[in-house]
Amino acid sequence: MFFRMIKGALFRQKSKMIMIAVTIALGSSLATAMLNIMLDVGDKVNQELKAYGANITVVPKENSVLDSLYDLDDGGESVAHLKEEDLGKIKTIFWGFNILDFTPFVNTVVTLGDGSTAKLTGTWFNHHLALNTGEELDAGIHSLRSWWEIKNGQWLDEQKESIPANGALIGSALAARLGVETGDTLEVNTAKGSQALQIAGVYDAGGDEDEQLFTLLPVAQMLADCQGLIDSIEVSALTTPDNELARKAATKGPGALSPADYETWYCTAYVSSICYQIQEAIPDSVASAVRQVAESEGTILDKTRLLMILITILSLFGSALGISNLVTASVMERSNEIGLLKAIGARDSRISGIVLTEIMLTAIVGGVAGYFMGYGFAQIIGHTVFASAIEMKPMVIPLVAVLIIIVTLAGSIPAIRMLLRLRPAEVLHGR
Amino acid sequence: MKKKKMFLRMITASLLRRRSRMLVALLAIAVGATILSGLVTIYDDVPRQMGEQFRSYGANMIFMPSNGGELSGDSLQQAKNRIAEKQLVGYAPYRYENITVNERPMMAAATDFDGAAKTSPYWRVDGAWPSGVGEALVGKETAQTLALNVGDEVTLTYDLDKTPATADEAANTERNQNSAAFHVAGILDTGGNEEKYFFISIEDMEALTGKADCFDMAELSVTASQNELKTYADDISQHTDGVSARLVKRVTQSENTVLSKLQALVLLVTVIVLLLTMICVATTMMAVVTERRKEVGLRKALGASNKSIIVEFMGEGLLLGGIGGLLGSVFGFIFAQAVSMNVFNSSIQFRWLLIPVTVVVSVLVTGLSCLLPVRSATDVDPALVLKGE
Repeated sequence: MFFRMIKGALFRQKSKMIMIAVTIALGSSLATAMLNIMLDVGDKVNQELKAYGANITVVPKENSVLDSLYDLDDGGESVAHLKEEDLGKIKTIFWGFNILDFTPFVNTVVTLGDGSTAKLTGTWFNHHLALNTGEELDAGIHSLRSWWEIKNGQWLDEQKESIPANGALIGSALAARLGVETGDTLEVNTAKGSQALQIAGVYDAGGDEDEQLFTLLPVAQMLADCQGLIDSIEVSALTTPDNELARKAATKGPGALSPADYETWYCTAYVSSICYQIQEAIPDSVASAVRQVAESEGTILDKTRLLMILITILSLFGSALGISNLVTASVMERSNEIGLLKAIGARDSRISGIVLTEIMLTAIVGGVAGYFMGYGFAQIIGHTVFASAIEMKPMVIPLVAVLIIIVTLAGSIPAIRMLLRLRPAEVLHGR
Repeated sequence: MKKKKMFLRMITASLLRRRSRMLVALLAIAVGATILSGLVTIYDDVPRQMGEQFRSYGANMIFMPSNGGELSGDSLQQAKNRIAEKQLVGYAPYRYENITVNERPMMAAATDFDGAAKTSPYWRVDGAWPSGVGEALVGKETAQTLALNVGDEVTLTYDLDKTPATADEAANTERNQNSAAFHVAGILDTGGNEEKYFFISIEDMEALTGKADCFDMAELSVTASQNELKTYADDISQHTDGVSARLVKRVTQSENTVLSKLQALVLLVTVIVLLLTMICVATTMMAVVTERRKEVGLRKALGASNKSIIVEFMGEGLLLGGIGGLLGSVFGFIFAQAVSMNVFNSSIQFRWLLIPVTVVVSVLVTGLSCLLPVRSATDVDPALVLKGE
């Protein structure tokens, strides 16, 4: 009998039940979409912030002292070097997966045809690297200089056959000074040799780099006479914003941490722990955080996350009220039915049971449909804004389920109790 | 006149007598309106607030001498005045000079420390920022090289004629030098080139070099979009003698990319949340009205025209929508203010325009969602409705 009544209620009042289900579905899709976006927004924005370029620089150990002594600001050759063969080790550190890109630099000062000098930097553009671990990856400067505007010509790319071995990019200011254009060849000399560079493009970097030349690593190594050696490495890594622990480790050194703290610090992607691990991996190196990028990333990430959390709370609150409101409204409109049930002798618990079961069944249907709708909304947002899918966290499912159940109960129980308190005669009479 | 009075009485009576149901409807509308006004306020405010956060990346515009010479304080001031004060977060002029410390060549930079702290908020100073004359901020690398600690004294020497090129020259020629002792107030950690410099105040630099009113460059941190900045830069380069303004592309370009994504994110979230909330409000209203089919049937049976019934229901809906909209604008602002205080630590202005917008939208949503069920009720034969079919 119980089931027949429920079945009857569900199917006879089809349109009403559909409306409840739709509202619950809307609410749960809102909750699903917002929770998933909120949980994923940190990672997504972190990726976007990589537009600011490298957040870690690696230099040889002695260099960090020597450079300031002898090469004050001519930006010339440094004395100590890192080994090119060690570069791949960056990807093998504990947080190797968080290393998005890196590129080596070899700097030298070249004399140009008109007797003036310019800074020439050798680097990777899109270098293919096969690691000992069997992993393969492409690394290079392209993503670390996302703000460069190649005015004419194109980016260099080691993997393209059409790029000559002596290709180079020239800064817009230097190009204007020399009257050089894409396609020209430029003769550069150092004490160690001379080389004709073929200009593949002119870039506008909006800074000091506009006065420089960038070329492929082997060319610069030949000119600087440091085959197999590099001057510095720029690394772009996904990091966790600093907290107390990270600050303590950064100022006092990891040695000052207790073993438990050290473990936590080492196994969290703080910029300081990634620097530390790079130093471990590359012999005689000093890795330091570029504070301009690292610090600001933390600020922006924290703010964005907090903003999304608050918007999520508002929409959860909104959908919760929306659902419980509708449930209350739909229970109250059944005063006649409840009065009738009471009049023919149904016990209060029985009546509540019937009404609640009906509503919960509807809620489950609506909630499940809502979850998938929410999935759709989250992906629409992910693809339009970040051009990548939003990762659906499994923990959202129980969260949404609990929310829906609580909200539905909270919406229906007070209404049912209120109706049960009424006297059947009055209700049926229509007061 | 009489008709109007009756109309008003019917509306208020129905609102008052059916208190609990009307409360439910009002709550639904108010929640929808709160979300509307709250989210729209946040969406409207996010670019400004987030833009301020992005200033933590430091200067996005620099002034340089346009003719390879030096900048005078006046021309810098003139150029700076072209930027709206409200948008200017920080301004720091810089002057670089070669100096020696114990015959070691070093670089000293003179700046306004208050300005530098604002244009480069990412600088981390161990110790304290220099507070006045005779205090210096030392870059971390230089401090390591010279084994300097906070609280130490260091003597900077400036060659008034010309820095000697070789050690021999330095030993042999008579040198015209100025020296000054500085107290190391703090050690500067930036992870960049600044770690190689000494930073001293402008007055100290003028005393040390005997040359006043000249700067090499100035850094500015301006809260403005990339296009606005470009307009400023062009305007300044054109109208100020000797100053050429340039954008720090790394900062402006990247900010443009990231900020536009964030804005798009908030916009999409706002649109989806609003859409879903409005549908929720509509379904609730429909449920509340549908339950009154009997009433509609009774009125029709008593001879009311379809039009007058619809007008009455709409009047009720509009009243509810108006009250809910007003409540919502207030609560929405409170919510937006709370978000702003929590996330950005700054308050937001009340947007008066949002009140009419919120009220109109709530009235429209309520009206539409009332219209549908009333229409379907009036279309049906009153006898059928009253019988409950």
